[in-house]
Amino acid sequence: MAGILAIAEHIRGELRDITGELIGAAVSVKDQLGGPLMVAVIGDDPGAFVAKIDLEGVDEILTVSVDSSDFDATVYEEVTCRLGTLRQPRVILVGHTINGMAFAPAVAARLGGGLATDVFALDVDNGEIVATRGAYGGKVNLELGFPGKGVVTLMLRGATFKAPEAAGSATVTPVEVDLAGLGGVSTHLDYTDAPTADVDITKAEFILAIGRGIQNEENVPRFAALAEQLGATLGCSRPIADAGWLPKAHQVGQSGTVATACKLYLALGISGAVQHLFGMKQADTIIAINTDSDAPIFNVATYGACTDVLEFADALEKQFN
Amino acid sequence: METRELFWEIGPTAYVVFYAVAYSVIAFFLWSVLRHILKYRRGASHPLPVDVWAGIGRMIREVLSQRPAFRRDRFAGHGHTQIFYGFVLLFIGTSIITLEYEITEPLFGFTFWQGGFYLVFSLVMDIAGVALIAGLIFMIWRRAGFRLAKLEYRRSYRGEAELRPPARGWRREDWLFVGVLLLITVTGFLQEAVRLSMDQPPWQAWSPVGLGLARVLEGLGMDAEGAAAVRSANWWFHGMLSLAFIAAIPWYKAKHMIAALGSLVIRDPKVLSRLPRVDEEAGHVGVASIEQFSWKDALNFDACIRCGKCHEACPATTVGAPLSPRDLILDLREHNDAAQGRAPEGVSLIGDIIDPETLWACTSCGACSEVCPVGIEHPAIILQMRRHLVEQGEMDPQLQSTLDTVANLGNSFGENPRKRGAWTKDLEFPVKDIREEPADVLWFVGDYASFDPRNQKVNQTVARLLRSAGIDFALLYEGERTAGNDIRRVGEEGLFESLVEHNLDQMNGAKKFSWIITTDPHSYNTIKNEYPEFGEVAPIRHYSAVLAELFETGKLKPIKPLGKRVTFHDPCYLGRLNGEYEASRAVLRAIGCELVEMPRNRDNSFCCGAGGGRIWMPDPPGLERPSENRMHEAAALDDIDYFVTCCPKDLTMFEDARKTSGHEKDFVVTDLAELVAEAIELESIPLKDVPSLVERITDAVANQIAAVEAAPAAPAVATEVEATTARPPTPPEPAAEAAWSPGPVTAAELPPYEVPAKEGPRIMVAVKHVAVLGDEYAFTEDGRDVQEDYLDHALNEWDDAALEEALLTVERAGAGEVVAVTVGPEGAEATLRKVLAKGAHRAVRVWNDSLVGADPVTVARALAGVAVQEQPDLIFTGVQSSDHAHGATGTVLARILRLPYAAVVIYVEWDGASKLVVTRELEGGVRHRFELPSPAVLTVQTGINTPRYATMRMIKQAKDKPLVVVDGSSLAGTPAGYVVRRMYTPPKSQAEMLEGSAEEVAAAIAKIIREKR
Repeated sequence: MAGILAIAEHIRGELRDITGELIGAAVSVKDQLGGPLMVAVIGDDPGAFVAKIDLEGVDEILTVSVDSSDFDATVYEEVTCRLGTLRQPRVILVGHTINGMAFAPAVAARLGGGLATDVFALDVDNGEIVATRGAYGGKVNLELGFPGKGVVTLMLRGATFKAPEAAGSATVTPVEVDLAGLGGVSTHLDYTDAPTADVDITKAEFILAIGRGIQNEENVPRFAALAEQLGATLGCSRPIADAGWLPKAHQVGQSGTVATACKLYLALGISGAVQHLFGMKQADTIIAINTDSDAPIFNVATYGACTDVLEFADALEKQFN
Repeated sequence: METRELFWEIGPTAYVVFYAVAYSVIAFFLWSVLRHILKYRRGASHPLPVDVWAGIGRMIREVLSQRPAFRRDRFAGHGHTQIFYGFVLLFIGTSIITLEYEITEPLFGFTFWQGGFYLVFSLVMDIAGVALIAGLIFMIWRRAGFRLAKLEYRRSYRGEAELRPPARGWRREDWLFVGVLLLITVTGFLQEAVRLSMDQPPWQAWSPVGLGLARVLEGLGMDAEGAAAVRSANWWFHGMLSLAFIAAIPWYKAKHMIAALGSLVIRDPKVLSRLPRVDEEAGHVGVASIEQFSWKDALNFDACIRCGKCHEACPATTVGAPLSPRDLILDLREHNDAAQGRAPEGVSLIGDIIDPETLWACTSCGACSEVCPVGIEHPAIILQMRRHLVEQGEMDPQLQSTLDTVANLGNSFGENPRKRGAWTKDLEFPVKDIREEPADVLWFVGDYASFDPRNQKVNQTVARLLRSAGIDFALLYEGERTAGNDIRRVGEEGLFESLVEHNLDQMNGAKKFSWIITTDPHSYNTIKNEYPEFGEVAPIRHYSAVLAELFETGKLKPIKPLGKRVTFHDPCYLGRLNGEYEASRAVLRAIGCELVEMPRNRDNSFCCGAGGGRIWMPDPPGLERPSENRMHEAAALDDIDYFVTCCPKDLTMFEDARKTSGHEKDFVVTDLAELVAEAIELESIPLKDVPSLVERITDAVANQIAAVEAAPAAPAVATEVEATTARPPTPPEPAAEAAWSPGPVTAAELPPYEVPAKEGPRIMVAVKHVAVLGDEYAFTEDGRDVQEDYLDHALNEWDDAALEEALLTVERAGAGEVVAVTVGPEGAEATLRKVLAKGAHRAVRVWNDSLVGADPVTVARALAGVAVQEQPDLIFTGVQSSDHAHGATGTVLARILRLPYAAVVIYVEWDGASKLVVTRELEGGVRHRFELPSPAVLTVQTGINTPRYATMRMIKQAKDKPLVVVDGSSLAGTPAGYVVRRMYTPPKSQAEMLEGSAEEVAAAIAKIIREKR
């Protein structure tokens, strides 16, 4: 009964970033909690992912061959439970992702141990794992303990923990898991790609939003180019969409879309009408540029500056050239 | 003796023929009128009292003065006045002749149509005829020559290039009406001319027009023989045309001569300012079919004369939104003429006749009914149809979510109710809470003023003004909810009534006050005109009237006359609906402003576009907004400094529109109070009332210290909690230390309750009464949660989607039931009732006080306990809850029940028996589709459907549906997935202002972006 088991996530042959982040989180508590750090990868060719999983701090990579590379919640649940029983880790780490949500709670329910989801900070107190998550729409933080739990399943928030950069020297152990008894619970049909044309404000993590302060329609392409350069999704306030300068899909706010996943919001020339704030004030970091120092946007912003938006845009563009 | 022969050279046969035709015409006319009356009688009873006697007086005044025709179109007014008086005099003349010839002479041998009376009569008839002809020619010239937009029936606002077929008929009618009247009058004069030419009576100068025409005809060569021929033929032509005119009156445009009189008598002077309640006896809410309109509405449809005044005044029509009040009424008239007040078959009123988008385009500004010369009440007619749409949940999703928000939080901003009074914190003085201490005046702030940052500043100015004028005022703070004026105008009557009840309860439970003040015309209107129907309420005044009085009585004195050129926008709900036009203007004069009126002012004020719930609906793309239209109007005035409003919605709408319409440099949009503050130099009033500087500094320091002391409170709690972690509230299982895994979690054993036998598929939906936390809160003593008092609750939106999916599934199957289950205290029944109102068949609530703050594993065990008894064929639940966002409960539930499951489902097909095809959406939008056997548990993502709306009325009615409460005490003390060690507030972000040049700022921000991205 020792160590940490992390479950790697991949889709259509690509290892997802969350895997490295799980490893990074595990490494940060491994010394206090005790090793080893094991990473399990499940797929029809799990060995293909080994090189990328072998990061500094990983002690062992468990490769489990199954029939299909496609995610099947039942298979992941079964394999995780079997590996758990085999190695008896104190903590099982899974990403708080769409796929993670589809099997990790079931693992916890089967093992009867601890469970916490959407965890964004880990700590060890007196040898016990401590997890921090948000509550009430992220307004407050909740520190969770798992006294008396032999095993705790933790689902970690993505893009929060840092993956180790250096490669490791893990041993690779293929593990046979007999899934014959599982039967075909679900049958994979197909994958469909997301429509590429439209923006999706709800999912954007970095939004560069423009408001009336950009003055006229001719300036829109400049900001669109800037957003692309920064890797940001282009958003806007209501007047911009109303004027037809940008399609409605770009509008952030009460009548547009709420930027639910936004971590970084760069508001350029937006004064911050309450309808707009409704759609973005929950972003983790808000940077606001506006000439009016009284603009309500500064009430919700993390960083602000009173300067000309067009001059600022030029200067920012140079910074990223 | 001066008189004339009526039936000149008309033989006995012709005489009989004439009378036969005349009596047939009268009979036909009376039958036509009766048919109309029967049509009206088939209409529903009118929901509001009708004061006929007052109406008759008002109608007579309006008709005699012709004021309705003159309003905003003096040309039409003059033309109509001439036609009207000409026609009425000629009608009276004909009646006088009939009176003598048919009644007084044959019955009493009494004659009076002779001598001096006859001479004056002849003269008056000639003048009347000239007036009628002049009026008709003028109107024909106006219609033909000026191509007035308001007389155009082509629906360009709907992008139509061609006239619709009925509109071609309307155009023919318009011409026929004036044409036939003109012909009758002209042939009348012709008849007079040939008679005078032949008879040459000595008094012929008393018929100057006829005489003149006779001379002209004679000059053109008409001899006695010709005159006789014309006299004989024209007698028949003129007579038969007149009789045909009478017969046709009830069947085309001329019917307004009768219908408009009725419509004006029954006109409701408070239309729109006081709307009718829903008729609980009617068996339907609002109007969904033509026969459900009241007799009054049906008479309104018939009264329309297509003058186009409403078409011209309507803000929706003006900007090209899909509504013209005129066309709406005409469409309803055509439809009712076909249906004759009966339920038509195969035609749906809303959809086939009137588009829902037409009904939603209305801003409830009342411009149409205000200007309508025949008393048509378009807004009330629109409202009735909106009520039906709301009841059906057929509305814009944004509007629907706003109604939900208002129902949950009492405001449309989605803000925590405790923030309602937050704007008072920046004042130098405390503002009384009327719930704690009495005051002279209760200030009802209203939603927009309470939550919109721009308007909060206005509030602060108004508060300072009132204080400096010595007015003792207080607020209801979070006791206040939105007044409901616009909620009612959207058509959500149940929600409106619950808001009224709440606000009245708060006012009645408050300490003493004698009157109410508000800055919001919408709140003002409903509290003044509609609240009294629900309970006693103190008199309310708009702040503009109060400010005017303060200047008049000298309690406020201008120190610095502003000398600014300003224009003033009359808010619809203050001016048009409540007749208050002068107070703001008096204030502007008092502070030394030069008032320049916009062309559309006072009762013709042009709506900002926010009313009637429009502010909660997206504007149609590509259209000018009414507020922008208004900005152009103001900018066209010469060189104004300020555009002044006295309505919070106006202020936001116009400030926004000033920017989007490109008039940012032309003028400033401001509130009346802000100009007053400038004029009385409020800033410089250190008055005895304002706390001294020393006090303020002391307070500020005290606040600072309090803040510093509050900060380390979190660690203090932490230490305390750490101490308790050794003995957590949930005792660990004895075997836990030894066992790595204690084995699968099991369903809670709940006391059995009566579960009805299955009739078709049973779908269980787990729903949560989620908590919403405002910006202000306090933690419980043990530091593990926030105090319940600070939480508001609502139906979790993910569960709402799950419920909708369940309802759709049962509806598709055509059988079965949806059972909603929640784990929550009694308060959670609000959510269950809402769910039942939406269509769930039964509800189950599991509770025990130990379940406060239960983790997903515990909640899933409770739900599983219910599922074991219900044995559902499918279980739906939301992916996560909006408050704690675990995203785990559904999956744990599935595993406890050993059922197949899928999480984050965006599309599902069920064959009704044993197979599901499920689509999940992965990160980045990739969709994964697979098959799953049923029964199964699916956690549903929002966006999978549009959840239906439950009106407040439906929620109240859902009280009759079964709701079982199950004792969850067996869950007490059982192991949970986690133990809360502590809850704390994460470090708050406060805008850190970056100084320097654009380059320096950009460099700093680039660094931040690189870090955070």
